[in-house]
Amino acid sequence: MALTTITQGRFTSNGTATTIQMESGIDWMKVYNYTVAAASQTTAVGVEYYWQRGFPSGYGWEYKKSNAANAANLSAIITTNGFTYVDTSVESARLGVLHTDVTAVSNATIPVVTETATNGLSAGNVVRLTNIAGAQQLSGMDFTVGYNTLTSNTFSLDYMAQIVAGTTGNWEVVNWQSMYYPRHRRITKITQATQAVVTLSVTHGYKVGQAIRFNVPAAFGMTQMDGLVGNIVAIDTTTTTGNTVTVDIDSSAFTAFTFPLTAAVPFSPALTIPVGMDTALALADSVDILSDATYNTAYTGMILGAGANGPAGQNNDVIYWVAGSSFSVNNL
Amino acid sequence: MQNQDPVLNEAAIRLGVSLRQTEDELTRNMLAGTASFINCVGGVNGDNPTEITRSDVDGVVRALKNNNAKTMIHMIEGEDKFGTAPVRDAYFALASTQLIGNLDNVSGFTHKSQYPSSTGLQYSEWGVIANLRFFLSSIGSVSPNASMLAANVYNIFCVGLEAYACIEQDGYSANFIYRPPAVAGGPLGLFATAGYKFAEVPRITNDLWVLNLRCTLA
Repeated sequence: MALTTITQGRFTSNGTATTIQMESGIDWMKVYNYTVAAASQTTAVGVEYYWQRGFPSGYGWEYKKSNAANAANLSAIITTNGFTYVDTSVESARLGVLHTDVTAVSNATIPVVTETATNGLSAGNVVRLTNIAGAQQLSGMDFTVGYNTLTSNTFSLDYMAQIVAGTTGNWEVVNWQSMYYPRHRRITKITQATQAVVTLSVTHGYKVGQAIRFNVPAAFGMTQMDGLVGNIVAIDTTTTTGNTVTVDIDSSAFTAFTFPLTAAVPFSPALTIPVGMDTALALADSVDILSDATYNTAYTGMILGAGANGPAGQNNDVIYWVAGSSFSVNNL
Repeated sequence: MQNQDPVLNEAAIRLGVSLRQTEDELTRNMLAGTASFINCVGGVNGDNPTEITRSDVDGVVRALKNNNAKTMIHMIEGEDKFGTAPVRDAYFALASTQLIGNLDNVSGFTHKSQYPSSTGLQYSEWGVIANLRFFLSSIGSVSPNASMLAANVYNIFCVGLEAYACIEQDGYSANFIYRPPAVAGGPLGLFATAGYKFAEVPRITNDLWVLNLRCTLA
C-alpha cells in the first residue's frame, strides 16, 4: 500500500552497539537473533526484539529463548541497551549525558582524565570537556579519547598536547559529528619541519590531496602559519599516536606552536579549514579527486544495544532485522 | 485543483514553508560544520566565547575587508528624520533570535526602526552594528553546551557577497508533487498525496568571505 515502506537486512554482531541507517523514518522494527534461535540455551537469553515509535529511548520488547520448560520471564520490556532511534541532523541530539565528576586532568605527555564514576566509554568515542578548573583551555573542545588509556574511570585525550594539570570539571559524549563533510578541525600541535605535521583533536577524516587553510591565532605562537593554505601530502591514522596530516608548508623557521594555558582564555581556537583539492596530488596518490566534495552525512536510523539481552546480540551472533513505516498510526 | 480545494491549498502552503525552511537548515548546518570561526573574546561574562561586543564585530568586519569580501547590501543615506542614523554598507550576519537583547546592548547598535528608510527591509532583520546587518531566525544556529562553561554557543554567520551557494543537482531545484485520489487513493480513491523533493547542496565558494562569529549570552 502507498505510504507504507518496509526495509530489512542482516549483520553479524561484533558484540558492540550497532547502528542501522534507514532510507526513511520508521514506525516499528523487529530484530531476530538467528544464532540464539538455532542453539539450545541453558539460561533464557534474547532471541527476538520489538520496537514501536513511542517507546522511550533505549527501551525495547524482548522475547527470550530457553530450553527449560518453565522458564520465567520469556517476554519482558528492557529499559536499557534496547532500541535508540536517532536523527543525526538534529543538532541538540548530538550530546549525551553531562558527567560532572571529573577529578583530574593529568600533565602526562598524553593527558588522562580521571573521574569518580564509571564512564562507559569505548576507545574512539568523542568527548567534550567543559569547565575544567586549572585547564580551561580544554573546555568547550571535543577530543577523541581512549586509545591510549581507558579504564572504567579514566580516559586519555589521545591527540592533545601536554598541559599543566587540571582538576575538577565536566564531560559528555558527542554522539556524532556536524552534518557536512569536510569539517573544520581544531589543531592541538604543529611541528616545525620542512613539511609541517599537524595534529587534530578529533579524528580528522581528511584525505591526501585536500587543501586546508590554517587559522592560527596569536595565542598559539605560530602566527606565520595563520592564513596559509597547505596541501595534505600524507595522513597518519594510527589511533594511538597519529591523527595527523602532513602539509607542504615549510614551518621549520616558524615560531613554535604552543597550546595556550588556562590563563589565556578567552581565545579563538587554532583551526584547519578544508578549502579544496589539489587534483594532481590526489591522482598521484590514487585518491578520489572529489574527496573534498561537500557531503551531507546525516541519517536517520536505529542504534541497537548489544549483549545477551540486547538486539545487537553478542559477538558473532547473526542478526536479522526488518523495519517499516505504517500507513496509519492511531495512538489513543 | 488548488483553487478548488482549501485543504490542498493549505497543505501546499505548509509544504512550501517546510521546503524553504529545510533548505535554510541545511545551509545553516553546512556553515556550522565547515566555515572558519572565531570566538567573541571582548565580553565580560567569564565564558569562552564571551558575549558579543563591538570589538568582536569590528574584528569580523576587519577580517572580511582584509579578505576583499564585498558587502551584501548598500548603505542607507542619512535623512532629516528624528532619531534615525545613516546605515553603512554591510555584510549579512545570520543568527538566532536568542541574541535579541544582547545585540541591542552592543555599542553602536541601531535597530531597523531607526534606519532613515524602511524601503526593502526584511521581516527578519533586527538591526545593524558597524558593517554587519543582523538577520535573526528562530532556527538560527546554536551549538548546545559548547562553551567553556557548557553554555549554548550561538553561531553568527557573517557573510560577504557570493561567499556560499546552494547548488542544484540533477537539473532541478525543487518539485511539488500532487497525486489526486484517482491516482494515489487506492481502489476506492480514498486519499490524495502531496509532497516535495529537492536536490541541492550548499557549498562555500570562498572560505575567506564567510566567518562564523561564535558567542554566548551575557
